[in-house]
Amino acid sequence: MAKKWSQLIRNWMTQKMDLPPDVMMDLPRITMIGQIHIYIENHRGLLAFSDKELRLLLKQGQLLVKGKAFVIKTILPEEILLEGKIDQVIYINE
Amino acid sequence: MKNQWINLFAGTLRVKVTGKGIERFLNQLTRSGILIWNVKRHGTEAVTFQINVQDAKKLRVPARSSQCKIRFIERAGGPFFLRRIWTNSGFLVGAAAFLIILMFLSNMVWGIEIRGASPAIEHQIRKELADMGVKHGSLQFTIKNVDLLQRDLTDKVKEITWVGVELRGTTYHFQVVEKEEPEKQQAYTPQHLVAAKKATIVKMFVEEGESMVQLNDVVQPGQLLVSGLIGKEEEKKPVPARGEILGETWYKSLVELPLQSTFQVFSGNEARKYQLQLGKLSIPVWGFKKHGYNEFESEESMHQIKFLKWKLPIAFVAKTIREREEVTRTYTKAEAIKSARELARKDIKKIIPEDAKIKGEEILHQSIKNGKVRMSIHFQIIEDIAKGQPIIQGDEE
Repeated sequence: MAKKWSQLIRNWMTQKMDLPPDVMMDLPRITMIGQIHIYIENHRGLLAFSDKELRLLLKQGQLLVKGKAFVIKTILPEEILLEGKIDQVIYINE
Repeated sequence: MKNQWINLFAGTLRVKVTGKGIERFLNQLTRSGILIWNVKRHGTEAVTFQINVQDAKKLRVPARSSQCKIRFIERAGGPFFLRRIWTNSGFLVGAAAFLIILMFLSNMVWGIEIRGASPAIEHQIRKELADMGVKHGSLQFTIKNVDLLQRDLTDKVKEITWVGVELRGTTYHFQVVEKEEPEKQQAYTPQHLVAAKKATIVKMFVEEGESMVQLNDVVQPGQLLVSGLIGKEEEKKPVPARGEILGETWYKSLVELPLQSTFQVFSGNEARKYQLQLGKLSIPVWGFKKHGYNEFESEESMHQIKFLKWKLPIAFVAKTIREREEVTRTYTKAEAIKSARELARKDIKKIIPEDAKIKGEEILHQSIKNGKVRMSIHFQIIEDIAKGQPIIQGDEE
């Protein structure tokens, strides 16, 4: 219950005070360059990786990236740069 | 993101991870601060990625706790590259040897070209050059520089007036101008012989013409000695008068010589220094000792090292430092007079023609004042006083 409350307050504050939502709410920030690069900040760890699929843990839910010939160019605790041919970016909520 | 170049310098490793839970293992690595890049999946149970060399040891602990096996499959960059060069050092040695040999050959003499000389002179020049060390296959460092070569060659080979020396690449070019010995001028035009200066005639040898003076005559400059008109009064025939008329002439020389004089002479002590000059930086190679001379003169000869047709900014400098000494010479009176006379004689010899002889000398005046010897000497010289004078036949038809 408390978690939900804090979430609501944060949501409200971002809207009213015009703060960047990725900072306030621990959301992933995804930058894509066409189909070839995807840069994801604020992830919570790697769940699955193959050359056709990348599954990342987020604070809420998961992120699924589908495509071809995937290579992780860099991986840091909260950032990841993926290269390949990206077809889909899917959010998975339980 | 970090610049990958820096990683390449330090050296990188390619790691192959096989087993289950590879993703978990990767998360563990990133959390422990290991930089990972180029992660690729190979099949279902294998992943390869690259890490820095210094992170290799940190890999061990997470690897043990996980169910994966790790293998290093490729090493690249800095230290590994060096090691590979070391194992293949033969190539490196070969390349270095090639460059050194090429440089060595670029600094050799490969050709001597002599132009403008007749075969005999050319042969002589070649012989002299060989003595000086200029021959095929000798290194250019051992050869004096071009100006000195030019001077020595003109000194040693008498038959040449001038020689231009040029070093173009590995070839010495010599441009020779031979002395043209002037052929004895034949006096074909009719002429008289007249006296060039005031003299007493000592000896006469007339080849052609009619002598107008006798032995022991005193002649004035311009006086007719041998007439070029021979024959009887009426039909005088002009001929080129020839002959040698030796006359006694007088010269006066005034010399002044200080009794005490100081000279700069070389003591014979010398120090040699060799340096390698790289641009403006010079590195001593040999001769580190301080010479400790108070007065000295230094001479430098520089040889620039060439590589093929280019001159490298590297030069080999040989420096010779000669000690100079100040010597004070003191004459006694007798010595001073003697050397003053010698000096006067030398002076006179400069003035008179080469074939003239000094017959006698006489001191006219001599004084020693203010530490100086002053002397005027009278010289009697025997020389050829005859001078040709063409006969102008303007009044004849």
